[in-house]
Amino acid sequence: MSLADTLASLLEREDRLVFGELTLSRDPHGVFSARHRVDAEPTTSLEPIDSVAALREIAKYDSAGAFRPLKTAPGLRSGWCTETPCPREFLRRLDAIYPGLFATWVAYDRDALAPVPLRGTLGRQTGMYRFAGTITDEMAHRLQAELCAPGCLRRITWPIDANNGGHARVEASADEIPLLCTEACTFAVTRARELAKEAYDQANSAGTPQG
Amino acid sequence: MPVTKPDCALLILGHGSTENPDSSQPCWNHAETILATGQFGSVHCAFWKEEPSFRQIWPMIEESEVYIVPNFISEGYFTRQVLPRELEIDGHTTVRGEKTLHYCDPVGIHPAMTGLLTKRALEILDDSVRPEDTSLIIVGHGTGLNQKSTEAIKVQVEAIRESGAPFARVLDAYMEEAPFIADWQTLTDTPNVVVVPFFIADGLHSYQDIPVLLGIESEPTAAASQREVFRHNPHPFGDRTLWYSSAIGTDPSLADVIVDQVAYFDEHYRA
Repeated sequence: MSLADTLASLLEREDRLVFGELTLSRDPHGVFSARHRVDAEPTTSLEPIDSVAALREIAKYDSAGAFRPLKTAPGLRSGWCTETPCPREFLRRLDAIYPGLFATWVAYDRDALAPVPLRGTLGRQTGMYRFAGTITDEMAHRLQAELCAPGCLRRITWPIDANNGGHARVEASADEIPLLCTEACTFAVTRARELAKEAYDQANSAGTPQG
Repeated sequence: MPVTKPDCALLILGHGSTENPDSSQPCWNHAETILATGQFGSVHCAFWKEEPSFRQIWPMIEESEVYIVPNFISEGYFTRQVLPRELEIDGHTTVRGEKTLHYCDPVGIHPAMTGLLTKRALEILDDSVRPEDTSLIIVGHGTGLNQKSTEAIKVQVEAIRESGAPFARVLDAYMEEAPFIADWQTLTDTPNVVVVPFFIADGLHSYQDIPVLLGIESEPTAAASQREVFRHNPHPFGDRTLWYSSAIGTDPSLADVIVDQVAYFDEHYRA
């Protein structure tokens, strides 16, 4: 079954689903719609958005106009809705808000996408990121607690290494399409590098003769 | 060469940025243009620093045959090391499970870039300005760490000279290695100078850093999407006049070059 058909099968007529900060729904005529969860029961009119490019712009900036490089960071703008009867077009529009997240869920749910351990991600880095792999497990936990937990709506599914820090498998739900993190992102790799560098600098300065 | 591959997907790879909102925009624009032609079954973008990332992209692509075109200026660290590693591809064609993945050359080394750079330079000059009184500078990043980083620009500069383009001089210059773009007034001797950034996007370097090196701005400005710098051409410097183009990668014709790289792949690399 194609991704678009899978989306249509998950969202039957008069159904609602939560997808990150979005509410997805389908009316009795089969028209798909997406809007921010705070607009799920609109008391004011919402701006209709009919193109993928325009939705990408909505996801690009927060309500104060600041760039949102991480699309799954909390703070998606509200006050708009998008509607289409075509499941393929609806999927393209969802990908403009949360790029690839629906496909990630489907692949994970079908056991076709295995989470990549953090040490695998960090260990293959080169160039300026090659030292990221030297972080300790304690630093890895700190990274998740300080960076991922407050800054991203995805659920982490990757372990720190193949035998350590695993997460319970995320199961399908009747009312939600989960936003999954199956591999540490560029922000996590960058933060790991910073933590590794801080530790290296501390270790070196501690051994440096004073005066 | 016309390309019609409705059963194939096209994947455009970009660098992207966690700081500049304009870096990925050319990739998205070219993808929309190509998608509208119906030449491919689907058209996707993936990025090193934005989403979808290189690592996220495969579940999104449903076609079994995929052409991958790096929207990068040169061959080097990214196109030869980072992109193949992150995409788990090896060589020109990788067969993985039910998918066949064709890895094309980056857009910046396609021969069509020569004409595109010349066209861009000529179209931003005022009608009253004679190209014969004008030096064209193609500016790139450059780094002392990698000789390859300037190769694509040197090749283009030589090709523009050989093409018979009407400029008095055609030069290469760089942000971080000699000849430095900051020295444009001593590198050239013509009354008019036109500078075209050989970059993919009007991001941090071409929009914010190089204008400072040229003397157009005293300090880096906000991102391009929040300002309108390119409307201020030309820039007078005493008895010299400078024109500064937007990055070559923002030219709508880049969509054609992306498709041309697919055609080039079929002609030269396809078994």
